[in-house]
Amino acid sequence: MASHLSQIPKTAPFAEDEIEILNRVVGPANPIQRAWLAGFLAGIDAQSPAAKPAPVARPAEPLTIVYASESGNSERLAADMAKIARKRGLRPTVVDMADLDVATLPATRRLVVIAATWGEGEPPARAAAPYAALMGDGAPRLDGVEFALLALGDTAYVEFCAIGKAIDARLEALGAKRVTERADLDLDFAEPAARWIEGAVTALAPAAEQAAGPTVGQVIAVDFGAAPEPNLGPVEAEVIAHVDLNSSRSAKETIHLELAFDGKAPAYNPGDSLDLYPHNDPAYVEQLLRAAGLASDGALRDEFTKNRDVTTLSLKTVENYATATGHHYVKSLIASGEARGWIAGRQLIDLVEHFPIALSGEQLRALTRPLAPRAYSIASSRREVGDEAHLLVSAVRYDSQGRSRTGVASGFVAERLRKGDRVRVKLRPNKHFGLPASDRNIIMVGPGTGVAPFRSFVQERRATGASGKSWLFFGDRNYTHDFLYQLEWQDALKDGALTRMDVAFSRDTPEKVYVQNRLWDRRRELVEWLDDGAYLYVCGDAKQMAKDVRGTLVKAYADVKALAPEVAEQAVGALERGRRYLQDVY
Amino acid sequence: MTKELSRNERIKEASDYLRGTLAEGLRDEITGSIVEDDAQLVKFHGMYLQDDRDLRGERSSKKMEKAFAFMLRVRISGGVLTPAQWLTLDEIARHYGNGTMRITTRQTVQLHGVIKSNLKATLRAMDAALLSTIAACGDVNRNVMCNPNPHQSTAHRAAYDLAVAISNHLTPRTAAYREIWLDGERIAGGEDEAIEPIYGKTYLPRKFKIAVAVPPSNDVDVFANDLGYVAILDRKGAVRGWNVTVGGGMGMTHGEPETYPRTADLMGFCKTEHAVAIAEAVVTVQRDWGDRSDRKHARLKYTIEDRGLAAFRAEVERRAGVTLDEPQAFTFTSTGDRYGWTDRDSGHSHLTLFIENGRVHDPAGEKTMMTGLRKIARQHDGDIRLTANQNLIVANVAQKNRAAVEKLVAAHGLLEPASGLRRNAMACVALPTCGLALAESERYLPDLITALDQRLAAHDLAADDIVIRMTGCPNGCARPYIAEIGLVGKGPGRYNLYLGAAFDGSRLSKLYAEDLQHDEIIARLDPLFGAYARERIGGERFGDFVIRAGYVAATSNGRDFHANTGPQRA
Repeated sequence: MASHLSQIPKTAPFAEDEIEILNRVVGPANPIQRAWLAGFLAGIDAQSPAAKPAPVARPAEPLTIVYASESGNSERLAADMAKIARKRGLRPTVVDMADLDVATLPATRRLVVIAATWGEGEPPARAAAPYAALMGDGAPRLDGVEFALLALGDTAYVEFCAIGKAIDARLEALGAKRVTERADLDLDFAEPAARWIEGAVTALAPAAEQAAGPTVGQVIAVDFGAAPEPNLGPVEAEVIAHVDLNSSRSAKETIHLELAFDGKAPAYNPGDSLDLYPHNDPAYVEQLLRAAGLASDGALRDEFTKNRDVTTLSLKTVENYATATGHHYVKSLIASGEARGWIAGRQLIDLVEHFPIALSGEQLRALTRPLAPRAYSIASSRREVGDEAHLLVSAVRYDSQGRSRTGVASGFVAERLRKGDRVRVKLRPNKHFGLPASDRNIIMVGPGTGVAPFRSFVQERRATGASGKSWLFFGDRNYTHDFLYQLEWQDALKDGALTRMDVAFSRDTPEKVYVQNRLWDRRRELVEWLDDGAYLYVCGDAKQMAKDVRGTLVKAYADVKALAPEVAEQAVGALERGRRYLQDVY
Repeated sequence: MTKELSRNERIKEASDYLRGTLAEGLRDEITGSIVEDDAQLVKFHGMYLQDDRDLRGERSSKKMEKAFAFMLRVRISGGVLTPAQWLTLDEIARHYGNGTMRITTRQTVQLHGVIKSNLKATLRAMDAALLSTIAACGDVNRNVMCNPNPHQSTAHRAAYDLAVAISNHLTPRTAAYREIWLDGERIAGGEDEAIEPIYGKTYLPRKFKIAVAVPPSNDVDVFANDLGYVAILDRKGAVRGWNVTVGGGMGMTHGEPETYPRTADLMGFCKTEHAVAIAEAVVTVQRDWGDRSDRKHARLKYTIEDRGLAAFRAEVERRAGVTLDEPQAFTFTSTGDRYGWTDRDSGHSHLTLFIENGRVHDPAGEKTMMTGLRKIARQHDGDIRLTANQNLIVANVAQKNRAAVEKLVAAHGLLEPASGLRRNAMACVALPTCGLALAESERYLPDLITALDQRLAAHDLAADDIVIRMTGCPNGCARPYIAEIGLVGKGPGRYNLYLGAAFDGSRLSKLYAEDLQHDEIIARLDPLFGAYARERIGGERFGDFVIRAGYVAATSNGRDFHANTGPQRA
């Protein structure tokens, strides 16, 4: 009763999610807490000049910031923008695109979308369904909505910022009015993003507000629920174990890496990742420098080995190369439109070797981006391993365009990093992939290196004595040669940290068997677990596996519950919206 | 005072006719292994749990259990397969095994490297081709051997029919095999006599091996078997009846002189209509008289030694209701195979192919033997026969098809080798799959023969037939103790050298030198080869020569095996 009475009315001058947050705090608050809050707010009012009614006082204008994030960058920018917008008299509501109901968009008067593009021009996995709704025929008209779009991407991919571009065009087509130009940002987005946000907020803020100064909106700029930020700066770690988990008969090489820190490990939680700062292959760098006609200069070699991305070849690189060198053939490659096809499967060294021309160190530097870290899911729990962090890194090797290639970071780990070496890492939290309450059941689908976070989950649940059940689906190529952490799973099944486990090895039988096939075999129990409130986690390959797993889950619901396909689809959609179907895919 | 039963006896007793917890064990996907007791029981189903010993060192640091996989041995009475059955085994080997097949020293096929999750699919595929692995291993009657050229004479036909009849009669009756591997219905309960009328719930004390020979060929090594039948022919070449042999066996343990190989005794002569009854009686007497407390003393050969042949024969006659006649005269000439084409009156031919150590595979960039045999099987309308010397016969080839077969044989390098030593060589599988191996065998013998051939050629002996056999441990799967040159693994790279066995398989060899490494084996044999080349009399065999010339003492039989070992003259 008391709690019912203290509900914040929907008509209150807050955004919907703010009302929800306030209800969460005010609702269950006891009289002492409420009294303290009242005093606290009164105190702020007393000190703030804005507390006195301004001549043109009126509620702050709402601003909806939608972010579509995979690695968390868009999400962080959305939060930054909200802070700035609040200071500038707007009332921002930050919405994860994964939770976006497209039907509510017409009601937003000001809309900012910060969208990351993933892989080969795909939306972040969690945002896939709302993205499809927005792009689909059923999307509502957005006449009268003002919008701005910030696109994040990676020029290493041909479809650079494709999702941002698509949403930008779509919003306009639906009748919304663009108030500032879209920015397409690469991996080094921090500074340009700050500039764009500044400009966009200026464009979106109502003119009257800007003249009239702060509004009442500023008074409630209290960041509820914000946790203290963990240290997100790079730190050094020592490699204390470096083991190839695949058998010597395997075609694969998956490195189990144990890192120890000087003092405390970064305060990671199960589900978080570590950014690892790799070095390039010195032999590759040497080859590149030679191809560019640069004398073997120790300082230059060191710089390009440690700091520059010397492999990525994008259209932009080719254009820059043409401009910088005036190379005739490269220009015609661009002019003829062939460049786009030419760069497929090629790297910077192919360009420089194929169209050789003497470059200065400065020119070569300008052709490259800073060498970015690579994120790897943490495969350990601090509660079990103490101040260590374990990673699982699969060596990427392939042939293309007549040259054998090795992944920059995975090659660094597999081929050059050794026990006793030091490496720089940085914590990358992933709050969308954490464990639920310890009494909740979890289902984990993690083939290949996708199993890494689940080793962390199982360790955490063992250490905390969690009562919830856990079920792991693992897969790889050969049972005998690729069963990662097999002995540990056997122990976990014995000690109860893992309740059950199903495996799929694709190369052991004439017909390939994958984790999704095992999910289908177990569909009855799977749906039972989910009906009981289990959380489903999927980690690993985004291109095929994650999609196939989702497709299988829809089919499983349809089959087990005798549902029409679209109803089964809704059931899975409900799991996603309820944050019980969580993905960390790459 | 009765001695305590061995552990395996308790496992059998508690197994509910070979079920144990195999069905549950198969459902556990997280280990490729099965529990210890089931690993004993699974042998009765024709499988051994093994692990790749080449990988043992790295597994635990890689957080993986041993590289477990199963060896599957098929039950192929008399070694006769249809081409379709060969193709099934070939496909299974490529889909579920390690891509190779082994023709064993007991006329059957072994597949290696089948992981647990593929066992049922493998056995279902075999079942669809009317093949089974039941009782190919374990304390039961194993695959029954028989001279594999039945179409050459009525005698061979009779021998094959007897082998099949005995095999069928002695196959375990338990429904466990069908139930566990083929998802058959659980058949509950019943009296022991109804479930296993011959074996009972604890089966035999130890493995049991039977062979049927047709003189003059002793290709099946009849004296190395627990029970043997030697065809006695009338003047027209028809079978008059069978000499019955009992108490042969190869296995022994290094350093335990109370264990020894033994050649079988001639127990008597029986008519064909009594042969199966005699087999059952021999099996049941061994079932009841055999030593169930000590597995190293449990084979029939020790029962015969302990009880005496006369008492054993009397009990067999009593149980079979048959009085055996005295053994009849016969002559064996060799234990080897005749390579190449042999013809038959009806216009069909048989082609015996040399398969080195029975290993059917396509080594990278070398011979394409497995592929060649597959192509032959695809076009062949006769049958395929496996020999006790690990070779293969393409049997019953119509004259019009000979050229096509010959073309494939030539194209896939299946021609017989020139070396007399290599033609008469056998090796067991040993490392890396066999858990018992102390040393290499199959992977090493070919190289040793290449080295020995150089010495033999120097003495102008390159084309002479000399029997050489190697095993990785003293259990004797390749029957090394009845080879003229026997090499038995003692430890990594070290072998005991046995000499002086008879070329026709009738006499055991004698330990000549211990713990020899590669160079020492050659150094020890080379002077003997030289002396043999200079001093042999007429067609004297190498095994006979080393005894006559006084290099090594003769072994009269099992109890005598460990006496007077070592070189007898400088």
